[in-house]
Amino acid sequence: MNPLTRLCLILFVLGTGSPPAMSAEGRADLNWWAFQIVERPAPPASSPAVHPIDAFVRDRLSREGMEPAPPADPETLVKRLHYDLTGLSPSEETMAEFARQADNASMEKLVDHLLESHHFGERWARHWLDVVRFAETNGYERDAVKPNIWKYRDWVIRAFNEDMPYDQFVRQQLAGDEISHPTEQSVIATGMLRAATWNDEPNDPQDYKYERLEDLVDVVGTAFLGLTVKCARCHDHKFDPIPQRDYYRFAAAFWPGPIEPRARELMGGPTAEELGYKDVFGWTDLHRSPSDFHLLIKGDPGRPGASVAPGHLSLVPWLDTPLHAPAPESKTTQRRLQMAAFLVDRSNPLTARVLVNRLWQHLLGRGLVGTPNNFGFKSEPPSHPALLDWLAADFMEGGWKIKRMIRQIVLSETYRQASIHPHESTYGVKDSGNRLYWKMNRRRKDAEVLRDHMLQASAELNLKSGGPSFYPELAPEVLEGFSRKSSAWAPSPESERRRRSIYMMTKRHLLVPLMTAFDFPNSEKPCGKRDVTIVAPQALALLNNHFVHQRSEALARTLRALAPDATIAEAWQKALGRPPSLSEHASCHAHLAEQEQHFRQQGSEYQEARFLSLASLCHLLLNTNEFAYVD
Amino acid sequence: MSTKHPPPRSFPCGHTSRREFVWELGHGFTGLALTSLLAGSGFFARHGHAATPASANPLLSRPPHFTTRAKSCIFLMMNGAPSQVDTFDYKPELKKHAGKALPADKKYINSGGRRVGYLTPNFREFRPGGQSGLLISDYFPQVRQHADKLAVIRSCHADSHAHGSALVQMNTGMPLIGRPSLGAWVTYGLGSANDSLPAHVVMLDKRGGPISGQPNWSSGFMPATFQGTLFRPSGDPILDLRGPRHLDRKAQRNQLDLLQQLNQAHLDARPGGAELASRIQSYELAYRMQAEAPEAVELSQESQTTREAYGIGKEPTDEYGRNCLIARRLVERGVRFIQLYSGGGHLEETWDAHESIEKNHGRHGAEVDQPIAALLTDLEQRGLLDETLVVWGGEFGRMPFSEGKNAPGRNHNPYGFSMWMAGGGIQGGIAYGETDEFGFAAVRNRVHVHDIHATILHLLGIDHELLTYFHQGRKESLTDVHGRVITGILA
Repeated sequence: MNPLTRLCLILFVLGTGSPPAMSAEGRADLNWWAFQIVERPAPPASSPAVHPIDAFVRDRLSREGMEPAPPADPETLVKRLHYDLTGLSPSEETMAEFARQADNASMEKLVDHLLESHHFGERWARHWLDVVRFAETNGYERDAVKPNIWKYRDWVIRAFNEDMPYDQFVRQQLAGDEISHPTEQSVIATGMLRAATWNDEPNDPQDYKYERLEDLVDVVGTAFLGLTVKCARCHDHKFDPIPQRDYYRFAAAFWPGPIEPRARELMGGPTAEELGYKDVFGWTDLHRSPSDFHLLIKGDPGRPGASVAPGHLSLVPWLDTPLHAPAPESKTTQRRLQMAAFLVDRSNPLTARVLVNRLWQHLLGRGLVGTPNNFGFKSEPPSHPALLDWLAADFMEGGWKIKRMIRQIVLSETYRQASIHPHESTYGVKDSGNRLYWKMNRRRKDAEVLRDHMLQASAELNLKSGGPSFYPELAPEVLEGFSRKSSAWAPSPESERRRRSIYMMTKRHLLVPLMTAFDFPNSEKPCGKRDVTIVAPQALALLNNHFVHQRSEALARTLRALAPDATIAEAWQKALGRPPSLSEHASCHAHLAEQEQHFRQQGSEYQEARFLSLASLCHLLLNTNEFAYVD
Repeated sequence: MSTKHPPPRSFPCGHTSRREFVWELGHGFTGLALTSLLAGSGFFARHGHAATPASANPLLSRPPHFTTRAKSCIFLMMNGAPSQVDTFDYKPELKKHAGKALPADKKYINSGGRRVGYLTPNFREFRPGGQSGLLISDYFPQVRQHADKLAVIRSCHADSHAHGSALVQMNTGMPLIGRPSLGAWVTYGLGSANDSLPAHVVMLDKRGGPISGQPNWSSGFMPATFQGTLFRPSGDPILDLRGPRHLDRKAQRNQLDLLQQLNQAHLDARPGGAELASRIQSYELAYRMQAEAPEAVELSQESQTTREAYGIGKEPTDEYGRNCLIARRLVERGVRFIQLYSGGGHLEETWDAHESIEKNHGRHGAEVDQPIAALLTDLEQRGLLDETLVVWGGEFGRMPFSEGKNAPGRNHNPYGFSMWMAGGGIQGGIAYGETDEFGFAAVRNRVHVHDIHATILHLLGIDHELLTYFHQGRKESLTDVHGRVITGILA
């Protein structure tokens, strides 16, 4: 590192706000902040009792003359931790326990308990599935199901639950067939490379293989490096130091795989014999010595240029060493294995930064870098560059352990703040996006959690883990949009349909409207950050969708036997995790009476009218902002 | 003969400005989808600083780049690909060379590896229509009466010979799935002129959706707000418009009153909760949509004469007739982009006439000819044709030769095909571009799908190079680095 760069980096580590513009002519060069080796910065001076994360955040706040929000109350915090760590709502007993006693020790115990729950993996695997554009069908003309791809989903869940170190997590997904002791599980992990759309009838099969390479470069570049490497297919990258040649050197890792057109039934993958396992939807090289791979002039398959040797990215010059030939006994080229080694090298400047930023984003509601899939010149500058580096360094030094990192973050006071602030009116003007974390970000539950929480409120959630995906019930109108209506969708048995959302079939042509209404991504491209829209069709879905009414009625059935007054309190407890206030109770009481009278006027029997009014109350509780948001 | 394309535009990766704006925009979408609406209603006056709607409702009506006549677009999608030489591109040479092979120097991919037959003339007669004398075949006798309104583009070409990717290209510009559709770009560019209806509407054929499904009306990397909403022609046009029967409007109002009371108390305890306020408002909007969306498809409000003109109430025109009439009602209500599919499911259920042009086009033509003609008449009579761009076409065309010896069907052909436009900003009664002597490939004034898209955007007042969406470090646009406006068909 030259002295000037080092100086820049020091200034930047000291937290002078946005990173220095280490770039020339509107583009990043090798001096760009994200391409510098991660060095662990010392937290700003503060009392040793202060969590390092808080030291960084408060230092920045105090320079703006701002203070963090007071701690969230224990009930809020317990709900928040459940939302973030398992995606399930806390039990009534847990809530009661924390209402009685909420000291640090019990909170730590709760965090450890949630991290150990096997529902942790079910929550966090979904975040990763977004990033690797996972869905279970091919898209295009036939949208066929990728057989056994659900095993990859289960592999991701298990990896999170077993706290697989992230370097292994990367290595197995890229090269689970090439590691020193491959197992069926590690080969299942390579399903990541095949989770994309796949066209079984491309216009020009020769052109199409380059589209597939672009997808692979895109998913690897985006997921692990936070770089738009794919933009260098046709020309040198316009903003980042990625020459066109690097794109092809990088893409060459996939050239020995099943890229050439072959039998349609293989769906662009290897045969079971080539893979070495039956009933696994994975990836492996077909050749130890593949044909030459050529750069394409302007990215045009009709204009091959010079042949290109496989390699890494030259923007990390200290790691950009030539790839070695495969070991003599290896059946594959070991290019992907070496790509993985490049990614998880301790001196790779991007891999750890990108991952900790993803963890932070999911926990705090906004990344330190607001563009989680892009750390290049077109990224949003980090709000707390030194904190980002501290987290990245700590993550690597801690053995790339995700649970440990999450634990660090959720035990900070920054995470444990309230989502409202006494100085809201002034702070909200000064930093309307809350980039400085002066309060916790309030979050709308994502599609999966909304659905799971509804099933939990009605005591119907089936917590069975793993296995093939279930097909939810769809309204007949939904199937109208499908070119093969009859074979489009066969709903699973009812108990299966009440499983957690992560086990729901993701069919590219037929995404479930209740899920897409709440911004479930279309899974065609890597998604690092979902949109969070607030639009009327969401209200229509929660007001009218059959699934929501089924849950409301099921919840009402659990309450039917109770004394009238207990009913209301119990409905609140189940739907919102707290008893109603006196005035809320009174309003609900009035609602029951009003609806009951109305339903009777409409001709319902007394018992039926009572039940329907109770279901009406349960239904509106599932529609409240309190149900939809996490403070 | 052939004119070359101008050199491609510079790569859109070349701009750095507006980065801040884009982040703010992205942020705005996440939390403030409805704030401008709220600001308009004075809602925020009661809620402190949150009144600053940074970017506001993504569907807020926005001014175009330049003033044009067309405010809405109706895209009549002939799913499955009609044959140009049997509809809008008359080729007398086919009669002379009937029974001969297509000359060997004309190269093509034989889609699906089907049998290759011999040059085959048009199955129905062409006749001149209107003052212009534009030649249109007997598959479209009623549309022919509107010849003077049409600009027929006879030199279209596309990049894929397979339905799945070609449909996706006609709808999104690229033959790969994952990008926003034309309707998404239009609504992103112009917003909506009606709060209570979706801005981008898609109506499918009852026989099924198009191959590749949802990606054809996707919002791609844009917020889901811009994706097409499937509209059904009767009853409840959109999903989840009605709950169980006992929850009638009164019972639901009771629910909403308590819901909003609880939400208001929740908001009062959370100052600055702009997203909470937006969500409260979205329920009132949803409540209105429940009434107004069904009203938009309530065709009993139309006169008997109008319904009959569209062919409603008789076969085979009832379905497409309803859809066309609904499209007119949606245009009146400010819906920006409406796409009506003719043909659904697979093969002969669509315009995919592998087996028999006469049978297939005879059937599908009879379904849509009268409704389309009625739509053009109706729009004109109501003074709406000037404000509405009507586009007709499929995802590609068909081969001038038969599928096998003496076979009556034709295979896929992306090398040359016809589309037409009418209405706002279009010069009527003209044919633009040419295919070769057999109608096989576009040779003069070639028009790529990107050019069609650039032209549609232009007619709606949008510069296709300026309408960009920042995604993953790149300014994306519908036409990517391509596309030029077909000035030869503009009024």
